[in-house]
Amino acid sequence: MPSGRLRLLPTAALVLGAIYCVVPTLWILIASTKSKTDLFSTATYLPSFSAGIWHNIVDLSTYQNGIFWHWMLNSFGYALIGGVLASLVSAACGYAIAMYEFRGRKVVFNVILACVLLPQIVLAIPQYLLLSNVGLTDSYLGVLLPQLFNPYGIYLCRIYAASSVPQSLLEAGRIDGATEWKLFHSVGLRLMGPGLITVFLLQFIAIWNNFLLPFVMVNSDDKFPLTVGLYSLLRHGAAEASLYSLVITGTLLSVLPVIALFLSLQRYWRLDLVTGALK
Amino acid sequence: MRSQWRLAGALVAGALLVAGCGGGGGSDQPAADGKVNLTFWDWDPNMDKVVAIWNQAHPDIHVTLSNPAGGDQLVSKMITAHEAGNGPDIAKVEYQSLPALVAKGVVADITQYTGDAAKDFDDTTLKATRFEGKVYGVPQDVAPLMLFYRTDIFDQNGLKVPTTWDEFKQTAQQLHDKAPQVAMTNFDAADPGWITGLMQQGGADWWSASGTTWKVAINSAQSKKVADYWQGLVTAGTVAKNPSFSPQWNKQMNEGQIATWISGAWAPAQLGGIAPNTKGKWAVAPLPAWTAGDKTTGIWGGSATTVTADSKHAAQAAQFAAWLNTDDKAVTAQIQNINIYPAATSGRSLPILSQPPAFFPNQANYYDLVKQAAPNSRSFSIWGPNVTVTFSGYTDKFGAALQNNTPFATALDDIQNATVADMKKLGFTVS
Amino acid sequence: MAARNRAKLPYLLVLPAVALLTLFVVAPGVYALVLSFQARKVTGGLLGGGSKLVFVGLDNYGLALADPELWSSIARMVLVALLFIPATVGFALLFALLLDVPRVKLARSSRLAIFLPYAVPGVIASLMWGFMYLPATSPIGGDHVDFFGATTVFFSVANVAVWGSVGFNMIVIFTALRALPSELYEAARIDGCSELRMALRIKVPLVLPAIAMCTLFTALASLQLFNEPNTLRPLSNAVSSTWVPLMKIYEDAFVNSDVNKAAATSVLFVIAALAVSFVASRTVSRVNR
Repeated sequence: MPSGRLRLLPTAALVLGAIYCVVPTLWILIASTKSKTDLFSTATYLPSFSAGIWHNIVDLSTYQNGIFWHWMLNSFGYALIGGVLASLVSAACGYAIAMYEFRGRKVVFNVILACVLLPQIVLAIPQYLLLSNVGLTDSYLGVLLPQLFNPYGIYLCRIYAASSVPQSLLEAGRIDGATEWKLFHSVGLRLMGPGLITVFLLQFIAIWNNFLLPFVMVNSDDKFPLTVGLYSLLRHGAAEASLYSLVITGTLLSVLPVIALFLSLQRYWRLDLVTGALK
Repeated sequence: MRSQWRLAGALVAGALLVAGCGGGGGSDQPAADGKVNLTFWDWDPNMDKVVAIWNQAHPDIHVTLSNPAGGDQLVSKMITAHEAGNGPDIAKVEYQSLPALVAKGVVADITQYTGDAAKDFDDTTLKATRFEGKVYGVPQDVAPLMLFYRTDIFDQNGLKVPTTWDEFKQTAQQLHDKAPQVAMTNFDAADPGWITGLMQQGGADWWSASGTTWKVAINSAQSKKVADYWQGLVTAGTVAKNPSFSPQWNKQMNEGQIATWISGAWAPAQLGGIAPNTKGKWAVAPLPAWTAGDKTTGIWGGSATTVTADSKHAAQAAQFAAWLNTDDKAVTAQIQNINIYPAATSGRSLPILSQPPAFFPNQANYYDLVKQAAPNSRSFSIWGPNVTVTFSGYTDKFGAALQNNTPFATALDDIQNATVADMKKLGFTVS
Repeated sequence: MAARNRAKLPYLLVLPAVALLTLFVVAPGVYALVLSFQARKVTGGLLGGGSKLVFVGLDNYGLALADPELWSSIARMVLVALLFIPATVGFALLFALLLDVPRVKLARSSRLAIFLPYAVPGVIASLMWGFMYLPATSPIGGDHVDFFGATTVFFSVANVAVWGSVGFNMIVIFTALRALPSELYEAARIDGCSELRMALRIKVPLVLPAIAMCTLFTALASLQLFNEPNTLRPLSNAVSSTWVPLMKIYEDAFVNSDVNKAAATSVLFVIAALAVSFVASRTVSRVNR
């Protein structure tokens, strides 16, 4: 039995890790409370209580007619719509590969596996070059469509379908006269439900975090997601004074919604799906 | 059941279609009532107030302002938008980027629309937008490089305002001895516009052309003279190494740890945003000269308003560009809201310029000094067709030289080689 | 009827994914390949009367491979990867094991706190850490330690990436740990085995597949290194515009407008990335056996 003090060592180590992960957000919170003038002239770890944060939020909201909130909306739009659609695509494809023998099944699955190994970001610039030939750049579609293909999601859906949808159930349904389509969405999708939510959350976060694709695709600042918007604010600051407070406040505000989302959706994170896929 | 899916599918498709239709820039077809819609890419803060004046006075030509990026980032966007065919009608382009855009066919020749407007600019200014006899943009502003200094720091340490670079070096050393935590100024390795201004003053001519042959002289003796001088100051520890506008520099400005700023005439408004507590403590002086009595200075930036080759309403777009930069009301609004120093000759005598800028209430003759400096500012004979390569070479190589304490002269050689190689690769004739 | 539908349905279900694959993976790849064999040359005049696209064979590849900037950027990426991969997997494993200790306190809150950075985009994380590194605004001693020095910059960049990745990998390993049957430990505990020995001798070997998978994920992630150096660049002199290969490709394509050379470098990079991933995944499956 470990001695009294040693027993707390795991807890202490975990708490240290937690602090390491929380400190940057805490710092951003503190820095957001400072007004433009205080930002560089007061001690960094001391928050300011002179309502600086309210002024900063107002400044951020009025910058270019509230474009920051537009960016926030865009990020949610891309991630939500993209996540849902990508999950449906993955579910359909994974289910088909798991449940049916059809010509080309092996080829399709192997190609998709190869895509898992391909860092998707590397394709962003060639995707831009191709889409610019059909006029899809600088549009919401141009950012959304490339992110609907999620090879890892398809891989997970295949594993999950194979393990949670018994062929016997499908056979029984066929004997009863149900169409394949009905089997897919009444039986298959329902049984895959929990796994699908995980696939959705994974893709949601991936799209939410994506920078290079929208950065390259989009010219109009009203279509930027938060990542590109805040980066452009930082770059503007290289020729225009006092945008740093806006960047800092914007960073804080962009982190809060996702933290809230996480906290409320904790029980849906079924990452056993990910490790289950190893078997 | 099946119909449910069909309905869902239709909804999704509809949503995507709507979302997709929201994309794309560029001008629309004129509406049935003859109204023309123009898009204008510009990163000047508060430009929307100036555009509003136009929109009110011209209900039949509506200008929509957008701010996708600034400086050379905007140039990249313009080039890629041109290739996709969805660029804006009007765009703000810095003088140094204009030849590259002309070479790529991105900006349009507006000589035929700007005959009258061109009369309002002196030859030096117009040289920046006129190539082989054709006008490619209406100059918006000029920013002669000047010396901005903290009167209180100078008084406190018994310093005299330097008029030559030798004096500047001595003053820097005096300041360093008396107040080691205060830097004389900062060496900006992140803004190529700053160093080219200094190079221009030093007599360097990075690009020149005779006929259709280019000559590139980035590592000329004059350039190295300027580079070595600044290397001396950096090694002596009398100047800070932070780029202007960086967070560290912001802090130093706020805490009075920087005594001077070599900047363009637009500096006062920026200073107001950077270090509001230093109001009234700054003054402007002509840039120190290489030989006593020489009034030459360089230029940090300055842009022109251009019309793109993709615009379907070139005449109206050129009309807006000319109005923006020659109309008294427009130029006054620009000075007031954006704090530019106008390129138009008539603009330099506007009543608003008889008052010093708000941040410099202590210096009544501020604009007089700028007016004297402007005609003596020289730029390069011509800017190269691949300035972005040179500029990113500058930020990378000089940034590394600052980090690793290696010679600036070698960095200049590297930039020269990279620029020439790139120009040759593109098919230009380089002597 | 049912038999005919059964024959059709799988193809329909697979169609969207295959269509997307063709349009957004295969087609861009092929297009990049085509572009990489061309170059744009000006056609006379001082500023070029215009420009035309010409076929140049493997010239772009030669230029790309001969460019010392590309090799420097690859070297820097590898350096960051050598810091990033062990640190991420190591800490993920450590935290997962700690969470699995029976009487540990505050487990749920710590687990949540460590997982949260996963939801923060790399750009945002770089902004947060960037300001924390800067002497002007640093609460962690940035005015004494130069986080942007020639060697320290690698640790600084790697740190941002580690911060963002530890949480997800920790949860993956932790889930695998939780899936292990508890009877395994009962026997060991009865025999007087300490938690530490149990962790090292029993748990780690049993979750080796999960650890290997995390290593694969982080290796893939390090190939994609872009957001962190790109965002830190405006804040310091230490990061150049071509610090990692993806930045070099971006700069060629968008700053220097040399789309063709960028396409060639992209093709090379894709091939190299696939090779590295393939080798890594082979190693992972060998470990799994």
